[in-house]
Amino acid sequence: MSVYITRENKVLIQGMTGQEGSYWTRHMRDLGTNVVFGVTPGKEGQDVDGVPVFHSIVNGIKAFEADTAMLFVPPKFTKDAVFEALDAGIKKIVTVAEGVPLQEMLQIRKAALSCGAMVLGGNTSGVISAGEAMLGMFPYWIDRVYKPGTIGVMTRSGSLTNEVTAEVVKAGFGLSTLIGVGGDQVPFTRFVEVLPLYQADPGTKAVVMVGELGGSMEEEVAEAIAAGFFTKPLVAFIGGRTAPEGKRMGHAGAIAGGGRGTAKGKVELLEKAGAGVAKRPSEVGPLLRQALGT
Amino acid sequence: MKLFEYQAKEAFAAAGIPVPKSRLVTDPAQARAAADELGGHCVVKAQVLTGGRGKAGLIKLAGSAAEAEALSASLLGETRQIITRLLIEEAVDFKREVYLSITVDAVAGKALIMASADGGVDIEHLAATAPEKIARVLVDLDQGLQAFQIKNVVFALGLAGGETGKQAAAVVKNLYAVFRKHDAELAEINPLFVTADGSVVAGDGKLIIDDNSLSRQAGYELTREHFDSDTEFEAAQDGIPYLQFDGDISLMCAGAGLTTTVFDLINYEGGSVANYLEFGGPNYRRAKRAMELCLKNDCKVLLVVTFGTIARADVMAEGVVEAMNELKPRVPIITCIRGTNEEEATATLRKAGLEPMFDTEEAVRKAVALCAGGKS
Repeated sequence: MSVYITRENKVLIQGMTGQEGSYWTRHMRDLGTNVVFGVTPGKEGQDVDGVPVFHSIVNGIKAFEADTAMLFVPPKFTKDAVFEALDAGIKKIVTVAEGVPLQEMLQIRKAALSCGAMVLGGNTSGVISAGEAMLGMFPYWIDRVYKPGTIGVMTRSGSLTNEVTAEVVKAGFGLSTLIGVGGDQVPFTRFVEVLPLYQADPGTKAVVMVGELGGSMEEEVAEAIAAGFFTKPLVAFIGGRTAPEGKRMGHAGAIAGGGRGTAKGKVELLEKAGAGVAKRPSEVGPLLRQALGT
Repeated sequence: MKLFEYQAKEAFAAAGIPVPKSRLVTDPAQARAAADELGGHCVVKAQVLTGGRGKAGLIKLAGSAAEAEALSASLLGETRQIITRLLIEEAVDFKREVYLSITVDAVAGKALIMASADGGVDIEHLAATAPEKIARVLVDLDQGLQAFQIKNVVFALGLAGGETGKQAAAVVKNLYAVFRKHDAELAEINPLFVTADGSVVAGDGKLIIDDNSLSRQAGYELTREHFDSDTEFEAAQDGIPYLQFDGDISLMCAGAGLTTTVFDLINYEGGSVANYLEFGGPNYRRAKRAMELCLKNDCKVLLVVTFGTIARADVMAEGVVEAMNELKPRVPIITCIRGTNEEEATATLRKAGLEPMFDTEEAVRKAVALCAGGKS
């Protein structure tokens, strides 16, 4: 089982004819993603491996139903592209762009909340339901990382996610759905907003959260567990425990200051709420086994 | 990108926010002339980007032009940090100090105005000890700042009513305009002075421009003063994330989260980091430049850890080998390169005489052990 993206979803791709867009469209379809059409202004009538291209979403949805949008759009056009998808009534939108202007990130998040849509990103690899479908850019062909199974993963990272997920698989588990919320200062969807999907999914037995210093997303998850809002086992890995305060180490969102957003504070709250907290990636597997009694 | 106080105040003044009269100077003679113009009694303020300037002795009150000249000479002669510019500012006779800032609220997806009648203090300290003294007003960027919100902020500042209230309302409105126009991550006035005659004037100015918006904010450039070291500045000009430390292991890793994790693992193992360098994302074809930067350090080991998708393992392995052949580093290189096309990567590394590793934690332990061996 999986959440957010399955083979039932009808996916439109904005920026499909670009180099990155066409390359990853092929991979998404190879895995099983149902891509219905692409959008690139000025290229209506063309196709990418038989998938038709339209000038706009409005034109595309006259011919095909779509419920999900995948964006391969540069950061400075991301706000417009997300708004175009929201305007067309699309409720699931994934954007991989890194470098969206900060104040436009606020506008995107606010608009998504107003529309009741779940926009994932920016600065993310996307979302993958292992063995089934994906939106974004994942090396799903590497079995020791993207094996199907029952562990939901939510993450702010890319390479580190491969690292941690490999440990999940090494411990004998596999993935239900991996959701990348992205490494930016203003993630369009927050960890705590992803949790209800995993809570409701019978195919997800436990969740691994790959967090890091900065922001308050991990604290919100700890509060959700403490309040009984999320009841499945959760194992967290928090990067940046030894990062010096005040320096921006890693992602744009990864900076702690004035005692807030520290890795230490996140670890303490999560442990207090009853989550397993791994100090090293290799501890994630054993903690999962412990939590699930396997 | 954090702006200097004088740049922030220029932006404030252009938006109609009252700021004290001032002159920007670069030598003591200019400082004397500026102080003369301002009437002798003035404040000499070092233009540096670090916080806590007052406590650090980088802001001094001068009673005369001669004193301003002497203070300027001593500040410009500072050896602890680079000081090239001073702001000579008229001394403001204030009776109150309040706090006003605008930043982003990631949860709400809105701008966040923070206001407090207690100004001139460290706001993070105030937030931790007396949060009820800070009013928070959220502004929807698409709706814009509303009249009731301005009113609520002015009440929170304790400045409602009369001419002072009007001026404070204008400052709130204009600071919001600065925040929007300059794509700010933070626009802050701390303290905002209220003078004896009831006028308001910005005592200090802080403006941080969002890095992702710099391309559309003309007129600001990163200088050496924005960085703690020469190599950090050099790396930034090349768009390569780099942080300077003073330990033994030079990190040349890919992926922001993974590099941070390797940094942690080294510290857990009792090792020390010479530098943090991340050559993933758009930089994954630039191994040579990355290695050049790493080798500027007096490090004992170079540790390469990657697990990339788009940042292909085979490309990065080839890059590392090419860089090795050209730069001929004298320190050992440990590689743990995985991800897309890792089989080709492994073959490339073996052919070059390296012994590729595949487990991050083992690679870290080996690097730490090599450093310890070098010491004995």
